[in-house]
Amino acid sequence: MSKAAELAALIGSQTALSNRNMIINGAMKVAQRGTSSTAASYGSVDRFFYSASNLDNHAFTQTQQAVTDLAEFTNSFRITTTTAESAIAANELVYVAQKIEAQNCQQLAYGTSSAKQVTLSFYVKSSVTGTFSTNLYEVDDSRIVNSEYTISSANTWERKEITYVADQTGVIDNNNGTGFYVTWNLALGSSFKGNAATAWEAYNTDNWAGAGTYTDAVITTVNSTWEITGIQLEIGEVATPFEHEDFGTTLAKCQRYYFRQNHDTNIPYLGAGAVYRNTLAMLIMNLPVAMRAAPAAIDQSGTAAHYTAWGNESTTACSAVPTIRAGDSKTSVNVDLTFNTLNSATGTYVYRIVNTSGYLGVSAEL
Amino acid sequence: MSYSFMKTNDDGNVIYQRTDDDGLVRRTCLSVDHEFQAWLRANKDSLPDDIQAKIDAGELTIADAD
Repeated sequence: MSKAAELAALIGSQTALSNRNMIINGAMKVAQRGTSSTAASYGSVDRFFYSASNLDNHAFTQTQQAVTDLAEFTNSFRITTTTAESAIAANELVYVAQKIEAQNCQQLAYGTSSAKQVTLSFYVKSSVTGTFSTNLYEVDDSRIVNSEYTISSANTWERKEITYVADQTGVIDNNNGTGFYVTWNLALGSSFKGNAATAWEAYNTDNWAGAGTYTDAVITTVNSTWEITGIQLEIGEVATPFEHEDFGTTLAKCQRYYFRQNHDTNIPYLGAGAVYRNTLAMLIMNLPVAMRAAPAAIDQSGTAAHYTAWGNESTTACSAVPTIRAGDSKTSVNVDLTFNTLNSATGTYVYRIVNTSGYLGVSAEL
Repeated sequence: MSYSFMKTNDDGNVIYQRTDDDGLVRRTCLSVDHEFQAWLRANKDSLPDDIQAKIDAGELTIADAD
């Protein structure tokens, strides 16, 4: 066998030696929003969100966790239950997921006879042992395939590998919307399980998870934990070693969806912009990466005085928190800054973050 | 946390705000924001009056899950 043939055999059905991983931030290194949050949705590690629907009691933290007991990895995404849900009702659902942009899924050739299977691999550790469910949910044609994995030993990192069959029916549109969710379920009401969709099929609520006996104990047990890292989703039926990438590359990928500028003592400037009238100014904030779409939201610290206008020989604190003005561009965002009275109704000011708790976040998340 | 109508700005854009449990507004958004839309879907049966009024007036639409 020639060397080329040997290499081809080693590669198997994999189609790329690099850039294999469709997951962004799978090593959990980037957490622009901060390392801990008690809110659902996007809160700590970039690109991963926590969804908890219809719960009554549950309180939690989602954290970017330092890892010291798993070779090659320094961070994980951890969920900790701080108040247990008393019971899981039929309509209750809790999961962690990443949405993958549709145009980044086109190599899967879904909806054609050339559709490719994918393999998901990850490291998981939990205080709870038992069987957990996962799924891929394709948004455009509302189709789903589900699977499961078992955690055998409490508080021990375990590597899991799951291969999902190809979908020759559902089509993922070639655009900047959501291609599919990659989901790890933590609690399933009875409405969301019971139908083992081992092949892709139309989503019908009860096939969000299969027919197994899945533990909800992470959510129903106080102080329980579930954490994950080293996530890779790649074409083919074989899980290859996790493809590490440099921090800057991962950060730039994350900033396509969310960018946060924090306070910097040396360079506290957000940018410059014109005064609209003496109570309102507009900041034009240039973004480091072209975002997925024109930003539709901004985050800030919640305290108006963390933000100031600087110019005309004076500094004036905002009287209300900065607000998004418009979402017209993928490379900049317009922000309204409100003041009791600026010392000029015209001209250009520089806008600054003047408190270490201040920040401005720009979102074009899926 | 909860969302509410904040203002219509000089450009005519309708701005919504998210008020966190400590009473601080930390997020403002346009109606198309995916996180706002996810919140609308999750709470569609018990929306605040001002949000429901926007929907009833046809000024705000709850999009299907993306």
